[in-house]
Amino acid sequence: MATVVFYILAILALLGTYLCVTRSNPVHAILYLVNVLFAVALMYYLLGAPLVAAWEVIVYAGAVMVLFVFIIMMLELTPDQEMSRVGWLRWGPTVLLAMVLFCTLVLFVAVDPETSRVIVDTYVAPKAFGYALFAKYPLAVQVISFHLFIAAIGAYYLGRGGGSRKRSREEGDE
Amino acid sequence: MTWTDFAGLVPVLILLGGAILILMAGAYRPHYRLFILAGISIALTACGVAVFSTSAVKEVSGIFRCGPYADFFMALWSLLGALTLGISFRYGEERKFAPGEYVALVLFSCVGMSFLSMASSLVGFFLGLEMISLNFYILTVFHRQSPEAPEAGMKYLLLGAVATGFLAFGIALIFAATGTLKLPEAMSGMVAGGQIVPLGLLAIAMFLVGVGFKLSLFPFHFWTPDVYQGAPAPVTGLLASGSKGAVWAAMVPLGAGLAGGLAEIVPLLKALALLTLATGVLCALVQDNIKRLLAFSSVSHMGYVLIAFLSGGLTGERAVIFYLVTYSIVVLGSFGVLACLSTPLGEPRALSDFKGLAYRSPFLAAALTIFLFSLAGIPLTAGFIGKFHIFYSAVRAGHTWMAIAGVIASLISMGYYLRLVFLVFQPRTDSPSPLAVCQPPGNIAVAFCSVLTLVIGIFPAPLLKFVAAILSP
Repeated sequence: MATVVFYILAILALLGTYLCVTRSNPVHAILYLVNVLFAVALMYYLLGAPLVAAWEVIVYAGAVMVLFVFIIMMLELTPDQEMSRVGWLRWGPTVLLAMVLFCTLVLFVAVDPETSRVIVDTYVAPKAFGYALFAKYPLAVQVISFHLFIAAIGAYYLGRGGGSRKRSREEGDE
Repeated sequence: MTWTDFAGLVPVLILLGGAILILMAGAYRPHYRLFILAGISIALTACGVAVFSTSAVKEVSGIFRCGPYADFFMALWSLLGALTLGISFRYGEERKFAPGEYVALVLFSCVGMSFLSMASSLVGFFLGLEMISLNFYILTVFHRQSPEAPEAGMKYLLLGAVATGFLAFGIALIFAATGTLKLPEAMSGMVAGGQIVPLGLLAIAMFLVGVGFKLSLFPFHFWTPDVYQGAPAPVTGLLASGSKGAVWAAMVPLGAGLAGGLAEIVPLLKALALLTLATGVLCALVQDNIKRLLAFSSVSHMGYVLIAFLSGGLTGERAVIFYLVTYSIVVLGSFGVLACLSTPLGEPRALSDFKGLAYRSPFLAAALTIFLFSLAGIPLTAGFIGKFHIFYSAVRAGHTWMAIAGVIASLISMGYYLRLVFLVFQPRTDSPSPLAVCQPPGNIAVAFCSVLTLVIGIFPAPLLKFVAAILSP
C-alpha cells in the first residue's frame, strides 16, 4: 500500500515539476510548484519523517510560495491578455493534481495506523530529529545560519536602491 | 559540543567575529582604507593562530576535522584573504565598494574555504561549498556599475544553483548507498569487492557534476570565462585560487577514501582531464581578453590537478596539494597585477594594452612575467616544481600517457603565456597605454606573491616536506 502511494506521489511530483517549468505564466507555474511541494511533503511523511513533512508544507508551500507570488505581483510579470481566456485547459491539470493529492491525503488519514506500521523502521520522531539537529550537529545549524546571514547581506547590498545604482542608470539612459 | 571543541576552530572564529565587527562598523562609519587594513590584520591574525594552533580534539561536531591538515589550509586561505584585500586597496576605493560588506564577504569566503578543506563529513563538505558559493554570487556583482557584472553574476548564480542541486542529489545517493555521511566511511562503503556498487557509481557521477562545475572541469566550464571577465579583478583572483583550491583540498580525502574503487572511475577521470586540458589550452590560444585568457588557462590548470588526483597515492595527493598552493599564489598574484593596472575607467582588457608595460611599470611587468612563467611551468618558478610533481605522480601510477599529454598541453600553453610576455617587453610606439601607472599599496601583495613564487620555485623542499607531513596521519 505504501509503495503504491509512493509511486503515485512520485508521478505527481514529476508531472507537476514538468508542468511548472514549461508554463509561460509564472502564476500557473507557482500553482504547479505548490502541488509538487505537497506531494514531496507527503512522501516525507510516508518515509517516516513527519516533522520534515510539516516543514515542507509550512515553509515551502506556505511561506516561500507567498514570497514568490508577492514578487510576481511586484514585478507585474503576468501578461494582461492572459486574463481573458481562462479555460479548462489552463486550470484543469492543476485541479486534477490537487484532487489526486487530496485523495492521497485522505487515504493517509484514513489508514494511518497501517501505513505507520509498514514504515516503522525508518520512522523518526520530531523529538529525535530535534535532538540530532541541536545536540549532534549544532555547528552545522550555526553554519547554515551564517549562510542565511550572508544571503541577507547580499540581498540588502544588491537590492539597495538609490545612490550609485540610480546614477548609473541615468547615465545609461543619456 | 564543548569549549575544547571550539579550540580547533579558533582561526575560523576570528575570521567570523572580525567579519561581523567590520560589517557592524560599516553600518555606522564606513571608511574604506581603514576597513581594508582591519580586514587584512584580522585575516593575518587568523593565519598566525592557525599556524601555531595545536588542537586537542580530532573532530568538531562530527562534520569538521582538526589537526595539521585543517590548520594548514585555514592558514593558507586566511593568507589568501589578506592578499585579496591587499590587492583591492586602491581598486575598491576607486570603484566606491561598500567597505563593510566587501571586507566582511571576503572574510566570510575565507571561512567557507576553511570549512570546506576541513570537512570530515559530506555535511561539512556541502556546507563549506555553499558558503563559498553564496559569497561569490554576491562578490561577482559587487561592482554594480560595471556593465558586465549582471551577466556574470546571473550566469554564476543560475548554473551554480543547478550544480548545487546535482551535488546534493549525489550526496543523498551516497548516503543511500552507504548509510553514512562520514568521509572515509562514506567513500569506502561504496566499494564492495574492489568495485563500486551501481548506486555508488550514479552517486559519484552526480557528485562529479557538482564538483566539476565548481572546479570548471571540461563539460561544466562554460561559466568560467564570462564570470572571470565580469567579476572585479581581486574577486576573480580569489575565485580562481581559493574557491577551487578549497574544493581540491576537500577532494583529496575523498579520493583517498575511495582507495581501491578509484581505479574504476579512472578512465572517466582520464577522459575528463584530457578534455579539460585540451579545451583550456586551445581556447586560451585564441583569446584576446586578458581575463578570458586567464580563465581558460585556469580551466587547463584544473586538468593538470585532475591528472595528479586520478594518479592517487601519497605522491598524487602531495602533487595535488603542492600544486593548489602554488597555483593559488600565482593566480592571485596575476589578478593582483590586473587590479593594480586598473584605472577608474576599467580594467585591462585587450592583450595589446600590455604592450610597453615594462617601460612604464617595471615592477608590475617583472611580477607579471614571473607569474606567467610560473603558469607556463618554466624552471625556477613554483609552477615548474608543481607540474614536475604532477607528471611524476602520473608516471609513477602508470599513467605515462597522461603525463605526456600534460607536457604537450604545457608546451602549447607557452604560446599564449610567452606572447603576453613578449608584448610586455615590446616598446610602445603608437598610442598611449590605457593602463594605470604603478601605485604602491596594492603592490605589496603582488610583490609578496611574486617573491613567494620564486622562493618556492628555488627551494621547494620545505613546502614539499610539509605537505607530505600534513598528509600522513
